Parts: sequence; C-alpha cells; structure tokens
Amino acid sequence: MLQLAFDIGGTFTDLVLLDTATGDLDIWKVPTTPKAPDQAVATALAERIAAKELSPQKISTIMHATTVATNAILERKGSRTALITTEGFRDVLLIGRQKRYDTYTLHIVKPKPLVERADVFEVTERTAFDGSILRPLDEASVSKAIEAVKKGSYDSVAVVLLHSYANPAHEQRIKALIRATLPDMQISLSSFISPKYREYERTSTTVANAYVKPLVHTYLGALDAALKKLGINAGLSIMQSNGGLVSPALARSYAVRIVESGPAAGVLMCAEVGRDEGYEDVLTFDMGGTTAKLGAIDAGRAAVTPTFEIDSVNYTRGSGLPLNITAIELLEIGAGGGSLARVDAGLVAIGPQSAGAVPGPACYDRGGAQATITDANLVLGYLDPNYFNGGAMKLDVEAAAKAVDDTIGNQLGLTTDEAAWGIHSVANANMERAMRIVSLERGRDPRKYAMVAFGGAGPLHACRLARALHVPRVIVPRAAGVGSAVGLLVADHKVDATVTRILALSAGAAATVGTVFSELEERARNQAASLQGKGDAEVKRSAWMRHVGQGYEIRVDLPDGRVDEAYIAAMREAFLAAYMREYGYIDRDAEIEVTDWYVAATIMASRRKIAARVESAGARRPNKERPAYFPELGGKIPCQVVDRYAIKRGETITGPVLIEEREATTVVLPGDTASVSLAGHLVIEIGSTK
Amino acid sequence: MSTETALRSERNRAIDPITLTVLWKNLISIAEEMGTALRRTAFSEAVREGDDFSAAVFDRFGRMIAQGNFTPGHLGSMPFAVQNMLAYIPVEQLEPGDTLVTNDAALGAGHFPDFFFMQPVFDDAKQLIGYVVNTAHHIDVGGVVPGSQGVQGTKDAFAEGIRILPVKLIRKGVFDEDMLRIIMGNVRLPEKLRGDLRAQANANNVGVTRLRALFAQYGRETMDDVMNAILDHSEARARELLRRIPNGTYSFDDKFDDYGPGTDPINVCVDMTFEDGKLTVDYSRSSDQVPAGLNCYLNYSRAYALFGMRIFAGIDVPQNSGVMRVIEVKARPGSFFNAQYPAAGGGRAGCQVRIFDTINGAMAKVLPERAMGAFSHWSNPNFGGVHPETGKRWIMYDLIIGGYGGRVDTDGPEAFCPVFNCANIPIEVHETINPTRIQRLELIPDTGGGGRFRGGCGMRKDIEVLLDDTTLTLLSDRHKNAPYGLFGGESGALGQTLLIRDGKVTELGSKEVCTLRRGDVLSFRLAGAGGYGNSSERDPDRIREDVRQGYVSAAAAAATYGVEIT
Repeated sequence: MLQLAFDIGGTFTDLVLLDTATGDLDIWKVPTTPKAPDQAVATALAERIAAKELSPQKISTIMHATTVATNAILERKGSRTALITTEGFRDVLLIGRQKRYDTYTLHIVKPKPLVERADVFEVTERTAFDGSILRPLDEASVSKAIEAVKKGSYDSVAVVLLHSYANPAHEQRIKALIRATLPDMQISLSSFISPKYREYERTSTTVANAYVKPLVHTYLGALDAALKKLGINAGLSIMQSNGGLVSPALARSYAVRIVESGPAAGVLMCAEVGRDEGYEDVLTFDMGGTTAKLGAIDAGRAAVTPTFEIDSVNYTRGSGLPLNITAIELLEIGAGGGSLARVDAGLVAIGPQSAGAVPGPACYDRGGAQATITDANLVLGYLDPNYFNGGAMKLDVEAAAKAVDDTIGNQLGLTTDEAAWGIHSVANANMERAMRIVSLERGRDPRKYAMVAFGGAGPLHACRLARALHVPRVIVPRAAGVGSAVGLLVADHKVDATVTRILALSAGAAATVGTVFSELEERARNQAASLQGKGDAEVKRSAWMRHVGQGYEIRVDLPDGRVDEAYIAAMREAFLAAYMREYGYIDRDAEIEVTDWYVAATIMASRRKIAARVESAGARRPNKERPAYFPELGGKIPCQVVDRYAIKRGETITGPVLIEEREATTVVLPGDTASVSLAGHLVIEIGSTK
Repeated sequence: MSTETALRSERNRAIDPITLTVLWKNLISIAEEMGTALRRTAFSEAVREGDDFSAAVFDRFGRMIAQGNFTPGHLGSMPFAVQNMLAYIPVEQLEPGDTLVTNDAALGAGHFPDFFFMQPVFDDAKQLIGYVVNTAHHIDVGGVVPGSQGVQGTKDAFAEGIRILPVKLIRKGVFDEDMLRIIMGNVRLPEKLRGDLRAQANANNVGVTRLRALFAQYGRETMDDVMNAILDHSEARARELLRRIPNGTYSFDDKFDDYGPGTDPINVCVDMTFEDGKLTVDYSRSSDQVPAGLNCYLNYSRAYALFGMRIFAGIDVPQNSGVMRVIEVKARPGSFFNAQYPAAGGGRAGCQVRIFDTINGAMAKVLPERAMGAFSHWSNPNFGGVHPETGKRWIMYDLIIGGYGGRVDTDGPEAFCPVFNCANIPIEVHETINPTRIQRLELIPDTGGGGRFRGGCGMRKDIEVLLDDTTLTLLSDRHKNAPYGLFGGESGALGQTLLIRDGKVTELGSKEVCTLRRGDVLSFRLAGAGGYGNSSERDPDRIREDVRQGYVSAAAAAATYGVEIT
C-alpha cells in the first residue's frame, strides 16, 4: 500500500509517497499554484502515477497540510463577514488589547481587523460571568441584525456575545433565527469555536473562523473532486496547527484550526527523528530563507500552546491577530539565509528584513547588494559555490565578499572574513536568545535535549547554537528539505476541546471538576468518532492553572480516572511541580485555581517504517577540502568536505568538517564528532561547550 | 562619579564590534529574562497587564549597563535609585544573596507602590561583579485610598502608605520576616504584596545566575571592557543623534485641569535646549508642587523626558547610563516636576501623557514630521471596598485608553495605548473577579479633532457598581483643557466622568475621590485626540469612509469639513 502526504506551501508543494511494505520514500517538489492550490497537486500526482505506473487504488491514506486559510487572512482575501455582538460592545474587535507591540515606538498602527466597524451589528441581551441571564435576548433586535446581514450581502456571520462560554443559549438561539431566514449562511458561534473567556481573543478567533470558513469549504471540495478524478479514493486527513490530523468535515466546521499546519508537521518530523535516535526530548531548529523557527518536544510529544498569533509584524508578539487555537509551540524570528545585515549605530544588526527570492542574497547575482547571512556563510567557506541546492544554482563568491565589505567590513574596519564572521555570529546570538526563551525560560534544561536541525540554513548554524546553550547533540535528519511532508506521515489524528470555568482548587471542588471533564471528554469523543484513524481514541486531560490573583496560567497535564478529593489533591501537587519547573520556587500557602480545562483525544498513527534510503538523494561526490573559517583555529584553515551519503555506517568523523548534501551543509566544529545512524540521520556529538 | 572617570582613562583597550554586539545582546537578554520571570509570576495587574516594572543589570560601580524594554516609567529612575540605595548601605556591607529594598518616592520612582529590589552579584572568588535590579508597581501599599494613588484629599506623603527607606530585606537569600511583618501590617492586600515581593526576589535570582555565567565564560577583563564600551558607545550615539536637531531652545506650555475638585489648573511648561549634541529639558516654569497626590518627583519627570527624546531624536541605542550623560532633566526644586518630600505623588501616573504632550508640542516646531496631535489622555480609576459576606477587601484597577492625535501622514489610531504601554483588562476578566458590571465599551463618534489627518475618537466605558460603600478614586484629565491639534488641526472634544445614580446624572471632577452605592453607574468618557493639519485639506474619501464606519456623523462631517454625505 502507499501513503500519500502533501504540504502546500507558499512557493512549493512538497509531496511524499511512502511504500508501507518497503519503507521507501518517494519525495518531490512542484511549484505551488496559488489561485487553485489543488491544481498543482492534481498535476503532480497525475504525472507521477503515469511515470511510475502506479495504481491509484494502492494509495490507502492521504494526509495534507495547507496554507489556504493562512493566506486568506494574510492577504485579507477571505469572505465578506459580519459580526453580531452584545449591545454596547460593537468596538471590542477594533479596540483589541490596546498595547503597542513596541513600547519605544509611537508611529505604529494596529493590525487591521478582518471585519470593519460597519460590519458589526448589535443585539440586546446580557449574560453574566456565571452563565445567568441578566437580560433576555430581544428577538426584535436579532431580526434587525439579520435584516442588516441580508442587505449587506455577507457570506459568513460570526456571533460573539459576552460570557457565552458560560452559557451559549443566546448564541444558539441567534443561529436558529439566522438559519430560518438565511438557510445557506455560514455561521460561526464563539461558544462553539472557542468557549474561553477574554472577549477580544474569543471574538478575534470566531471572526477569523467565519472569515476563512467558506473558502476552506470550497477548497476541500475541489481537492476531493480532483483526487477522485485521478482514481484516488482514499480517505483524506487535514493537518491542524496543533499537529493533529482531522477529517475534512471537522476542518470545515473549525476552519481556523488549520492555519499554520505546515510548520506543525515539520515539528512532528523532528519528534519522529528523535524517536528514531532514542531521544524523547528534542529542541527543533528550522532555519530557512527568511526566518528561523524554534520549537520543543517533551517526552516525545510536540509542545502545544493554547493560542496562536497570525499576521504579526516582524514576528513580534502582540502585533498580529490572536487566535484561541491550540498550536504547536514555535517561536519565529527574522533570521534566515536571506536576512539582511547592516551596521546599526556602530554595531552589526541582522533582519528582520529579508532579501527574499528577488533580489535574494548578493551571491545569487540577481542584483542584491546588501549582505545576507547566506553571503556570510559563503565567504566563510561553509557553502560550496558550485553545489548550492545540489549545484542547481551557482553562487558568486566575489559578489558575496563585496557585499560583506560594503555592508559591514568597510564601516567597522574589519577584514572580509571578520565581517562575515560578525554576521554569522550575530545571527547566532539572535537565535540563541530565541532558543533560550524556548528552553530555559520555559523550564527546559537544554543539557537534557537533543537538537534536530533542518531547513536550508539550519545545519550551518546548529552546532554553534548547541554549544551556546550546552545542548549535547545535534541531529540533521535525512530528507530534511521536505520535513513537513514527512512529518505528515507520522502525524496522529487528534481533536481537542476546551472551556473556561474559573474554579478554586479547594475542598469540595471534585464534583464540579468531574462534570467539566466528562462534558469535555464527551465533546472530544464525539468529534473523534469522525476521524480517519483506526483504533480507540486516547483521551488526555490538562488544565491551565495559576495562583489566585495571578494573570498567567501554566498548563498542567493531568491523569485520567475518577475525580475525587484525592484527585484534587494530586492536581494541586501537579501544579506546584509544574510551577517549580517553570519558575524555580513555589508558595504552598497561596491558593490555586483553574481557568481553562482541556481535553485532547488522539488516535495514534500506526508507526510506519521509513527506510533510511531516500530515492531522490543526489549522486555521491568525492570527499575533498576547502578553506573554511573557524575562529578557534585562528581563522581560515583547510577543511575537510565530506558527502553525507559517502559516510559509512559506524564511521565517525571529527570536526572541523563540512558535511554536504543536496539541500544543506552541516558545519561540524572542532572537537565535535559526526556519524550516520542506522535510521540514516546525521548525529553530531558536541565535543565542547566553550 | 570619580570611579567612572578613573576607570575610563585607565582602561582604553578597544573591544571589537562583534564581541561588543554579542555581549551587549547577552546583557540585555539577562534584563529581559528577569523581567519575563517577574511578569509571569506577578499578582499585581499593573505588572502583568501593564508591564509596570523594570529590570536592569548594573556594573560594579553602580552604572546601569542594560535595561529590559518594559515601562518607560523607570527609564531614568533606576540609575539614581541604585546610587541612592548604596548611599544608605555601602557595598562593603553587602554579601551574596543580600537584597536592598526601597519604595521611597524621592529615592526611587516617584511613588510608594514602586518597590526597588537590588542584589549584588559576586563571582566564585567573592569579588563583586555587578548588581541586578528590578522594580515593580504593587497593588496597594496602604494610605488613605485603595491602590495608594489618591489625588484629592491626599495632602502629603504621610497619607500615601508605608515608606521604606533602603533596608536589607533579604539577607543571604532569606527574607527578613520581622521586616516583612511590618510591611504586611500596613497594606490592604498583604498576601498579594507578599507574592509579588517573592516574584521580585525570584527575578533577581534569574539575573544573578546568568550574570555569573557570563563573567565565568568571558572573564572579568573582557566584561569590564565591554561594559565601558557600551556606555561610551551609547553616549556617542545619543550625542550624534541629538546633534542632528538644530541648536536652540524650544518651548511649549500646556496644563492639567486641576488637582482635585475646585482647585486651580497646574501649568506644565517645558524649555528644551539643544546645544551641540547635549540636551537640557527644563520644567522650571511649571507650577509649584501641589497639596494633592499628583506631584512628580524628578526621577519620574526624567523618565518621560527620556522617553520623549527616544521618540523625537530617534535614540536607538538601548537604555543605559551612557545615554543619560547627554540628556539633563531639571526643574526648580519645589516645583511640580521636582517635588520635594513630603509631597504626595501617588497619582503621578496621571502626568506621563502630559509630559510627552508638552515635549511633543515643543518638538513640533523643529521636527513636524515626528509630531502628532495631543493624545486623548486616559483614565486610571481604582474601585475598592470590602465584600460584606466574606469580609475580604477588593480593589479593581482599571485602564481606559483613548486615541492618538493625527500625524503627518495618517489619522491617529483609535483606542491605542499612548506613551506608557498597557494592555486593557478584559471585560470578562473584570466581571469574574470584581463586584462590578461593565455596561458599555465603545468609541464616541465626533470627538476626534478634525484635520487633514483626524485625531482618534474618545472612549466611553460605563461601569456599574454592585456593592455599597465602594470607594472610587479617579485619575484622569482633559475635562477642561482639550487635547490640542497641530498645524491647523482642531482640538479633540473634552472628556467627562459622569455618575448616574437613581437616574440622575452628576458630573465628577477628573481627580475626585468619592463613595459609591450599589447600582451607581460611572460613565467614563475620554476626550478625543487632536487633529493634524487643516480640516479643509482632508481627503473627501477619508471623510466619506469616516461617516460610513460611524467615526464621524454626517452632520459633523458637514460642520467640520463642509462635506455633505448622503
């Protein structure tokens, strides 16, 4: 049987076919067709089926990650959406949380909401925080709002009433009334999409769902038709931002959950690579052309956060639109191969501006004059000008050196090599800061983690980054260039359910806690019933907890089982242990409360065997030598260059060495040792942390 | 600072720009990590929602080397607070794990809720390598009104709660329980204060660990060189940027409504003198200090003057003592912006926006492209009382934030935090934890000052009180003096605070203190922000769009812009 996975990104669509019998992977890339993303997939598959004489019926499952929802939001090309809300609060979305994302700038603007002020309609009603009704729903006001929606020719409606997470009755009634008048209208209720408190974030989430829902609906329909036309009748699963696969039906109702699904799959690939090598705790480091993305896997599971922000400015938190969706934890910063270097007030600064694909780094010879990280890496000898992307593109070393001199060296009085080293090491310092946030600031001790490095530029910087953080080993996976698509193959089917109910964890809480969890578990199981995966769902509980009076909650994973007073005591202990891990101290006397409750139902993927052999790997190249810069050895030294696919099992290579493959080069530092594992991954033991 | 001069002449080794960049980033990241730890464990809304805290790394001479980017309110005060604490308890008396603490208004940040925690850092050889310091705004430190920020009726500092001159609150890592007991005995919510003091101690411990590791890795000599280079470099850069502003004195006058019902306006006057890359900001022409909790101690005035210059001169080097070598902030002793003890200053947060507005007005004369119409101002009410059933005290701290003035190329953003930087507190959070109900939160049409680029609208928030005997402390402004427009732009509409009791509406003073009954509704209506440029130059498409979105009514569009919209 064959399993098919494809990840439609902004530029490329990556496809992977796994033969479950042999474990062979067939990997290829085609340009994305942005207007109708299903076209590229259909064409690519049709060609592959013809070229390899495959039988479409042999494809048993299909897994898919897509940017269709993300792009609709980023480009503001979603559906015409109306918002119905409680009277007196029409401006909640416009007001937002009001904080500048940069304190030291006043010439700044807020993110553009997905609906305008004129698209918001009020209804008369009021629910209290405990769910009691303070003012019944005035149906005449609802009729007026519906009339306005009808007149405004909207495609989609979001309904967000105050405190609806505590009592959804008024939102549900409004839905029924809309249905009666406008039977085909797409409706998103906040009590269904995101029953959590904090009205701005809930509104933002629900509006985003409404905004992308019609589009996702249409897209999934087109994709399904295209696959069927090729004779592929296998069940389709869609990746969500939390790293779990869902059915197309669920993806349609909770459309907002599929934003950012590609990067999530990349992290799952890292988890699988960690498992291959026997490491349950992994820091993930993906450095591409414009950004670096950093994440973590704890005890074999990708870390998940309860919120996600989309359309942020320069990757700065607080500058974009917040979404209450569970998402794989990823910190993104403006440090990619194309990030531009400059002298800023006498110091070296990098990014977040990027040279992009056009003009690209100076060494691409497409008119770029300002030095990028890639130019620096070329000058330092880390990249082979004749073997970039497998030799598909020749790099201009002189242009890179000139750009480095012009941008940095001449102004700071540094040689070309020193200036290039400056760019390389300042980029590392920026990534180190980000990695410290992901690890130490979130209670993870990097000394206990392995780092999986991928993306075109990740393996160039990984060993330095590992040293700075005292990470003992770096793994560069095979087939790292299509990490997200490979990640889809190993993804589990997963749905989750959450609700806000603020509750002190004191004696007598057991009955309420039991009810909350059983309601959530029922919701999660009902959803899980429609998933493609086989087998029973494994249901896991978590709660977001804090001391009474604090504003930040921490996630505490909880056991299942009957909720009694002993369970409540165990919850308290679990919170204190998590608090200790995160902050380094605890206060046993301070009261503890839960704000949000969370249940995830997972149907585990049957572990697929993936062979070490990658069909599309480049031809083997002879080992050689070239000058490369290592400041600890006094500068440029003749450095051994090894073809990754020429390394034999059991062979150990000691740095300094450059290990090349088609899509990446790994810089192994003096004192580090590299070998290729049974699973085919490159494993580097970091020799020293100085 | 003779040590500084000696050190600078003695050490003149050049440090390469790469090492400087990387270690500078490291030092800033230490301050930021301290701040993150503090924010996440804090109980005080001001800390966690408002970022009203700061964290910094100092060298062993007590010079500030790196500060995290949190509130501007502590920009200038930290270096002075550290020197002031060391004057009370000299370094010879400090041991590893000790922490000095003060909340004095004059020594620290201008009001008692801000506690400074300063911990010396020693290396393995027990040599002093620097200090880590943080400061945080606490919920309540006692005094006449809940929240310790009353204006009306707070005649001097003795009414503002507990005052702690520098003490060793933590000895070798252990809190002095006796001292803690004194503090806890003087505040309204002792458990929250205790939790926040622990959070502050923890934040410093994060800094100690990292600074020690950095010194161990790079060595004392390199670190010394880097720290000197950071200060010199920052000074030179700030000087270069200030030099771009033409020499001369630029002045502007504005005023506060009053300092409580029935009192006179307070003149806010600034003279900014640029002379070859050095700047003096002088507030001496302003009114005298007032017998109400609004006065600014010099450390506070300095903070917002420095913030203003970061915006106008575009000072882009991170904040440290080097930047402050070229900017002097002064005011006549005993004047409103250099208040002398025992002046009351609890509500000085009400002044930050006006300090900026005044600098903005002065700088508009020379940097019109960076100036903007005056802000809406904001409102920072505190409600408080005792739950009749549980006997527990409660305090609701709120932030009501309006619009920005019009700018050279855009309208002022709506509902956005000016100068200081706070998130609002969600309605659903307020209603869950406080005995209040929010009835309305919306922009007020037709309040933004007209202009080529319009000022942002005022904001309305109606809050119903659900318990009798609730004390309300108001802290707002622009009820009598509207936010100004620039270059022909119109002023914004005036603000109001209304009390609705039994259907009867009474207007309250912007800084009044009063007692509320169950069922009372407070309607806060912030002023609109000022416009920029002549209304006659406004693009008709923008006017039409304003009417369509409901920011401006058709009638007001006709009156202000002479454009009929149907």
